[in-house]
Amino acid sequence: MSGPLHLVLAEITAGTPTLAEIARRTGLTDDVVHAAVDHLVRAGRVTSTELSLGCPTGGCGTCPSSDGCSLPAALGARRPGLVSLSLATRVA
Amino acid sequence: MTDSTRVRLSLAPTVIPPMSAKACCHTVADQTAGTTEPVVALVGAPNTGKSTLFNGLTGSRVTMGNWPGTTVEVSRGVWRTTLESPTCHCEDCSCADAESPLAITLLDLPGAYSLDAHSPDEQLTRGLLQDGTADERPDLCVVTVDASRLAHGLYLVSQIRELPLRVVVAVTMSDVAAQRGVSVDTVLLSQALGCPVVATDPRRRTGLAALATAVRTTLTDPAPAPRSVPASDDTLVIDDDRFTWLSAAAAQATVVPGHDRLTLSDKVDRWVTAPVAGPLIFLAVMWAVFQVTTTVAAPLQDALDRFFSGPVSHAVVSLLTLAHLNGSWVEGLLVNGLVAGVGMLLTFVPLMALMFVLLALLEDSGYLARAAVVTDRLMRTMGLPGRAFLPLVVGFGCNVPAISATRILPDARQRLLTVLLVPFTSCSARLTVFVMLGSVFFGANAGTAVFGMYVSSVALVVLVGLLLRRTLWRTMGAEPLIIDLPAYHVPTLRLTAAVVWQRLRGFLKTASGIIVITVCAVWVLQAIPTTGGEGFGHVPVENSVYGVVARSISPAFAPAGFDQWQTASALIVGFVAKEAVISSWAQTYATEQPQPGQAGLLGDHIQAAFQQSSGGHPLPAVLAFMVFLLAYTPCVATLAAQRREVGLRWTLFGVGMQLVTAWLLAVAVFQVGRLFW
Repeated sequence: MSGPLHLVLAEITAGTPTLAEIARRTGLTDDVVHAAVDHLVRAGRVTSTELSLGCPTGGCGTCPSSDGCSLPAALGARRPGLVSLSLATRVA
Repeated sequence: MTDSTRVRLSLAPTVIPPMSAKACCHTVADQTAGTTEPVVALVGAPNTGKSTLFNGLTGSRVTMGNWPGTTVEVSRGVWRTTLESPTCHCEDCSCADAESPLAITLLDLPGAYSLDAHSPDEQLTRGLLQDGTADERPDLCVVTVDASRLAHGLYLVSQIRELPLRVVVAVTMSDVAAQRGVSVDTVLLSQALGCPVVATDPRRRTGLAALATAVRTTLTDPAPAPRSVPASDDTLVIDDDRFTWLSAAAAQATVVPGHDRLTLSDKVDRWVTAPVAGPLIFLAVMWAVFQVTTTVAAPLQDALDRFFSGPVSHAVVSLLTLAHLNGSWVEGLLVNGLVAGVGMLLTFVPLMALMFVLLALLEDSGYLARAAVVTDRLMRTMGLPGRAFLPLVVGFGCNVPAISATRILPDARQRLLTVLLVPFTSCSARLTVFVMLGSVFFGANAGTAVFGMYVSSVALVVLVGLLLRRTLWRTMGAEPLIIDLPAYHVPTLRLTAAVVWQRLRGFLKTASGIIVITVCAVWVLQAIPTTGGEGFGHVPVENSVYGVVARSISPAFAPAGFDQWQTASALIVGFVAKEAVISSWAQTYATEQPQPGQAGLLGDHIQAAFQQSSGGHPLPAVLAFMVFLLAYTPCVATLAAQRREVGLRWTLFGVGMQLVTAWLLAVAVFQVGRLFW
């Protein structure tokens, strides 16, 4: 089996760091790679987490970054951020 | 005229019984086409222009928007179609008059990425198109597909093509695709998909007549043979077959920028995410951030320092004199406690603001995401779990949410290991202390000193992680992790300013909250005498409870070069919060020199203390102090979070490990450093 989904899953398993790198290695277009990953996320085979380099939640009272990270979303101006993808545990 | 009626369908939360698209049309409301007229279902993923197309075809006004999940209702309207060019030219033809308008009942189904029923919207679409009988299904499906994200939309097409349904594909957003250099050949796509494909622009109302023609023509034909799928119990095999089919169709019909035609973003990424150049560039960028911050903010910080120790202190004393409270314990608390302690912390506001601005610019531009790739690669190279990188990155902002973020790790041992490593990430609270000591001892090279602490922090995480993995968690496997990088952006002033203000507000909240409480507690401890004959608030600090306890502990730091009770006491107070290290220093030295204006610069006192305690080697001593500060317990809030996540036993283990690591490293730094400085 070497369809796009298997190719993308194999690259994720191998630890390929970015989607652009997956597209380069598999020869698939960026569009197909993104579609494949989105499908794998919806199917529960890959988990997706949006990252923030500051506090993702309320933080603590002694932290300068406290509750500072939900602001862009609250402003409605949030841009696509850093998203991490990893294999879900259900995949052997 | 509005020819549509909305029909709200009641859905069971989990099971969608087979439903009839035609019954839905013909039993509700009165503004449908006749019961013999064809029913066409409009389906497609969210944000593909489906609702806009529906409005354009029916003239109705339904809620439309550019955000996911808008179409939560099934809308229904009458689409009055005519043919662009009649297909029948018989003079005495008895067939349906092709030139006459044909009313079609048009259903606007909820946005759905697939028929896999992962969401209620998809359950509804699946129920209408797949689970019903042939009589219950619509006569034809129009599938909207975004030309700029063709592969995303074609998955739904592939599933519908497996059903005995007539299908017409409406390609939308060709203008967006064109902006990205992508063009879709509808003829080639039609050949690849085995169904008509029409380019439409619902917003500009172009292509609607061609769509009507394609739909009416297709309605006169029998449903095409369903596309065959491999017989397999493994859904991944079937899904992969669909992706093979759709990627071939997309490749055949799409002209995209070649792989050799790299965008500027691609060219930049080739360097900033490269295995060797990436970390070097990241280090250079962070060094520049710290250097710019300390250099630019230093004059402002000095001015604020003089402001708080001069005019503000004098003003408070004058007011207290007017109130006949000069020389009382109230003056001690206000002047030597709050003004000195909290005021010193507030001198860091310009510095923190500048730092937050630079980091926000890096984050908003998309560069920090690339730095995350570099960090992640380092983690995995060292054999640490890839996903552990996430909370560790958060830890550089604040350790407390970072410890909470370890919940994303599925393996309990990974969670425990990461919880133990998070306190070694240099949170921004420590930054204030590093910057102050860097400015005092390293002058123009303060930025480099602070940068060195951040590099040491990463090294500490990696080394302790490796040590623990080689001892306690030898069987733990690393999990793969992949990062979807956002595109580079020009940072926006509004977003940057908002983020900076929010974080700065957090800093001010800390200064006005827990630090005020800590300052008051320290002042009380400094006011309580340990020997007889001295009253409350009238005792030399070294003879107070605070001083005596600190003096009993400070010899432990003699091998590290900072056996000074003032320094040791700051580390003790630092258990509460790292910002309190500065406030307690300012408070202690102000109390020793109680007259406003005579306290002198705090930096001079600290320099003298390290000079004395290190036996003439202040630089290695202060570096040892900074390393100790980096490695030992961040704050009580972090301890509480650790206890919540891994229990008291492992929390105590972590505290012990941090203290031992901090002490050993500090001693090593001083003992080695004194050989050279």
